[in-house]
Amino acid sequence: MVSNTRPSRADYYRVLADALPEHALVVTALGNASYLWAATHHTPENFYIEDAMGLALPLALGLAVAQPTRHVVVVEGDGAVLMHLGALITVGAVAPRNLTVLLIHNGVHAASGGQVLTNPALDLAQLARSAGIGRAENVATPAAFDQALRAAFAADGPQVLVLSTEPDLDVVRPPITLDPVLTKHRFMIAIGAPRYVPTMFGGGRLKGD
Amino acid sequence: MMSVAPAADRHRPSELLATLKRLGFGVAVAVPDSWLGEILMRIEQEPTMRLVRATHEEEALAIACGARLGGVRTAMLIQNVGLLSMGAGMVCLAQRYQFPLLMLASYRGTPEDPVFYHIPKARATEPVLTGLGLAHVRADPDRPIGLQVEAAATYAEEASSPFVLLLSREDIQW
Repeated sequence: MVSNTRPSRADYYRVLADALPEHALVVTALGNASYLWAATHHTPENFYIEDAMGLALPLALGLAVAQPTRHVVVVEGDGAVLMHLGALITVGAVAPRNLTVLLIHNGVHAASGGQVLTNPALDLAQLARSAGIGRAENVATPAAFDQALRAAFAADGPQVLVLSTEPDLDVVRPPITLDPVLTKHRFMIAIGAPRYVPTMFGGGRLKGD
Repeated sequence: MMSVAPAADRHRPSELLATLKRLGFGVAVAVPDSWLGEILMRIEQEPTMRLVRATHEEEALAIACGARLGGVRTAMLIQNVGLLSMGAGMVCLAQRYQFPLLMLASYRGTPEDPVFYHIPKARATEPVLTGLGLAHVRADPDRPIGLQVEAAATYAEEASSPFVLLLSREDIQW
């Protein structure tokens, strides 16, 4: 039997969890992008964003610049990327070799109840290529995603994979607290980020342990 | 005895850039302003610094948060109008996640600024920063700018929050 339904976000997330390289860092956008990823593959190297719509992609770009030896994966929504399209241009200009952008293309603002996008039919892969990102493609099945993702991790980036996805409007309950400061500290400790030594201890600088 | 040039005699943009290097700032994220043009080109030439030119100040803020998350001390160089347009990212990302960021903003629209259309920006800047709960100070023209940059950067780290230093043309334009 042939099914016309698009894959779910969960279908793609299972593939992502299996294919992630060691020491990869994952940034997820608001809503189920973060909640479901926390339920699927929670590790300290995940940075979950709540709210701040459209800012997962530029944050991941800054992270990729700061951590050039690690793969950085960002899961952003189609509605979110439309809110800050300039970030695609900046990714194209900076061209970090270690950044993989996954765009959940469901045509709606799922986190706000499924309201339709301004242009749900936009070809986001074409848009990414026009923004200077050489490797960008549309993906419609988990099997194709698995193949494209492994190719992306094996090659120099940046790359964009646009994932045709069925909207998921039911909010997933994350299995962990997504306290923002805890998330940040857990992440920074996991990657061994230098810590700030306060001035009263003769510091005033970032220092590695 | 070593003599130190009075603050007014020093080239303040050079001192500002030297301070960023001395403090170990590895990433600068910027959106253009005419006062910033030359210093951005000089940052681009610094071997220890990486300049990212963003398309919008809210985007720049998120890039800076990501770089700091990755463990690199990060400064933003923008015009004050960008502080007016980045409010959502400031409260939902930078302040909510407590990112220490040094924000160096050209303070356009003051009586010393010859470009008349910047005036509304200056009128709104400090009330908006106060409304956002965003710590800020206007650079003192009678004190060395390097010390003021260091104090601002230290505040950002020790308060775990962004801090805005509002700069005059003499502070930042090469």
